[in-house]
Amino acid sequence: MTPVAQATNPIIRWEWIIDEWDQIREALVQHLELTVLSVALGVVVAAVLSAVALRFRFMVSPITGFTGFLYTIPSVALFGLLVPYFGLSRLTAVLPLAAYTLLILVTNTVAGFNAVPESVRDAAKGMGLTPVRRVVEVELPLALPYIIAGLRIAVVSTAGLVTVAAIIGQGGLGALILDGLQRTFWTPMTIGASLSILLALVLDGAIYALGRWATPWTRRAKAS
Amino acid sequence: MALIGPSGCGKTTTLRMINRLIEPTSGRLEVNGRDVINESLTELRRGIGYVIQQGGLFPHRTVAQNIATVPRTLGWDKSRVADRVAELAELVGLELTMLDRYPDELSGGQQQRIGVARALAADPPVLLMDEPFGAVDPIVRSRLQDELLALQQQLHKTIVFVTHDLEEALKLGDRIALLNVGGILEQYSTPDELLRSPANTFVEQFVGEDRGMKRLALKSVAELPFETGPVIPDTASSSEAVATAEAQGVEWIGLICDDRFGGWVRVADLANGSVPADAERFPPAAQVTPDSTLRNAMELIMTSRTSVAVINDGGHFGGVVSLDAIRRSLVSEPDL
Amino acid sequence: MMGPVLGQAAVPRDIGVFEFLFGSEYWTGPGGILASLWDTLVMCSAVMAVATIIAVPLATVLAHHGRGELSITWVVTLSRAVPTFAVAGLLVPISLRRGWGFEPWPIFIALLLLALPPIYLNTYTGVRGIDRGVIDAARGMGLSERSVLLNVELALATSVMLAGIRVAAVQVVATEPIRAFLGGDGLGRYVRDGLGQNNDNLLLAGAILVAGLAALTGTIFGLMRRLLPPGVRRLA
Repeated sequence: MTPVAQATNPIIRWEWIIDEWDQIREALVQHLELTVLSVALGVVVAAVLSAVALRFRFMVSPITGFTGFLYTIPSVALFGLLVPYFGLSRLTAVLPLAAYTLLILVTNTVAGFNAVPESVRDAAKGMGLTPVRRVVEVELPLALPYIIAGLRIAVVSTAGLVTVAAIIGQGGLGALILDGLQRTFWTPMTIGASLSILLALVLDGAIYALGRWATPWTRRAKAS
Repeated sequence: MALIGPSGCGKTTTLRMINRLIEPTSGRLEVNGRDVINESLTELRRGIGYVIQQGGLFPHRTVAQNIATVPRTLGWDKSRVADRVAELAELVGLELTMLDRYPDELSGGQQQRIGVARALAADPPVLLMDEPFGAVDPIVRSRLQDELLALQQQLHKTIVFVTHDLEEALKLGDRIALLNVGGILEQYSTPDELLRSPANTFVEQFVGEDRGMKRLALKSVAELPFETGPVIPDTASSSEAVATAEAQGVEWIGLICDDRFGGWVRVADLANGSVPADAERFPPAAQVTPDSTLRNAMELIMTSRTSVAVINDGGHFGGVVSLDAIRRSLVSEPDL
Repeated sequence: MMGPVLGQAAVPRDIGVFEFLFGSEYWTGPGGILASLWDTLVMCSAVMAVATIIAVPLATVLAHHGRGELSITWVVTLSRAVPTFAVAGLLVPISLRRGWGFEPWPIFIALLLLALPPIYLNTYTGVRGIDRGVIDAARGMGLSERSVLLNVELALATSVMLAGIRVAAVQVVATEPIRAFLGGDGLGRYVRDGLGQNNDNLLLAGAILVAGLAALTGTIFGLMRRLLPPGVRRLA
């Protein structure tokens, strides 16, 4: 490839988008699937870890330490470490991506439950609500704004990281970036990169809206 | 009943042992003659209303949902819950439009009313209140206290009320338990007895130097023995009037016309023989009602340059209160 | 093709993980581990230096004047959400069309965006979090505003600021290896080559190198905090 070829190659060739629409759509769907799967797995594991941390206070520090450690492992390294064991599979992509969500999800969930006012907890107990009801009907809803905030960050950062999963052949919008790079053809690169950023923003907005809907009491300002 | 004492005396702990938010380590605690230890935790707590400082309202539930918490857990049907909520809202003086709002949208005083309504929801015979009015400003506080007293007139609940404010305990409590640090019960008595005969120096210091004044705040004018005072009917002659005044050693005399107090006249004005009805009348400077506290009456007398306050019993003349009568009420209390 | 390649070290297919990591022949020479490590360190240091030079003064001055409170919300979100790979992917074509090549600008800018938020955020909150009484006392003693800013506010915020720099450094070092997939080299090249050549042991060794460097970075910055006076350290 000559520098001339690189220079004349436009950033976006609109015909390509129309011609390769199916490929783009497939990449977008894969991207979305990987994001949702990873965050879903992350939420399940984070729920368990948070429950343990909240039930046994001495576990807070080890759990946040461990999830914090996971978070600092470079994604390229973590994908690389898992390939010899799980191959170039979806699992190899989902496990690290889920692992990266744990820190923010656990931190925010624990913070959310800790932020439930003592007086409210006390009142719920004093009125004879069962422990299960106290958690489900009182503490969880009150912790929800924090959990949602954590979820938003988890989803946005995962949607960004899924592009890296393309290096282990899991498709998604990152595959378009790699494809463009290898062919020195910029259209798929630009499309892949912009769509992945756009998708992250859309997902963020969606969860934000969901959160607003689920916590109507946070919407109204204090009157007095 | 009010529980009071300095911080760290275990008044809140005592309260929380009643509904077993804190488990008693020894001893017996009975509610309705049944040891609380033998009751199921949730059953016990649902049968005891619980009000705490700042309300402890659920911020994610509307006012109506907050009030309905216990009835819902008891499985009442929807219409019964709705009726009960409306009934309670009226009882504690909440507007119905507030029921769909969230607690954070309301003022501290309103939140406190909701807290009381929520505790009363399933009509528990016992109500525990842990400094319920601690977080509101003094004016609202005093109003809420009055409302609670009025509510108690209707409901006749057993209320255990924790406070660190002596005035509040004296005002609200039928009986006061004064605790000392370490949970020592220093005195358990009526408010009046607490002030009149403190059991020891701790109690004496706690109630303060001005316990005499505080006692006056506990008693109402109606509790005093009836005293007519220097009054005569306005149809009396001036010689009768002068005679009455001299007998009582006063310079002013009150006129009663048609069972109402017609005003004061100066005895000196009657000396020339004019009939009392024609003399210049002065309206009473100090007027109280039978419900007024003695403290109130005394203040009025002191600040109005008279020696007695006239009792206005719904428009009728109800006698007079003299400083002397107030003093006597403090020194010689035969009963209790 | 993967852009300009420094020259492949001939790695046998059946090499063992430790044989590679501890074999001196793989450390030296062009394309050796040391060269790749140097490559990565230069890039990361440059990013960190520029990010610090931009973020620290900006955050200190804004926080000193009590401005830019709103920027914090945005920065918090951004700090966890910068899609480095996508950003670099967008920048590569632009860079090439301008004749700046694959390296170093696209990855540099993408990493810079990653490094700025934590440094800015911690410096800002560090300065804002200082006890107002201390600042008033400093002013009361007649220190100039400039001196208050440098000798009091920035000095007391050092610990919190350093924590932010540490987070940024670890993230930059952890993310830099994607450069190997964007037409560059650096320590990520062994992971790329391991994947490309279907050589699991090379892949593992590469992953260990990358992860090791990230862990080491975190540790070094953690130790740096211990050099601070205890009073300042406690503020973090």
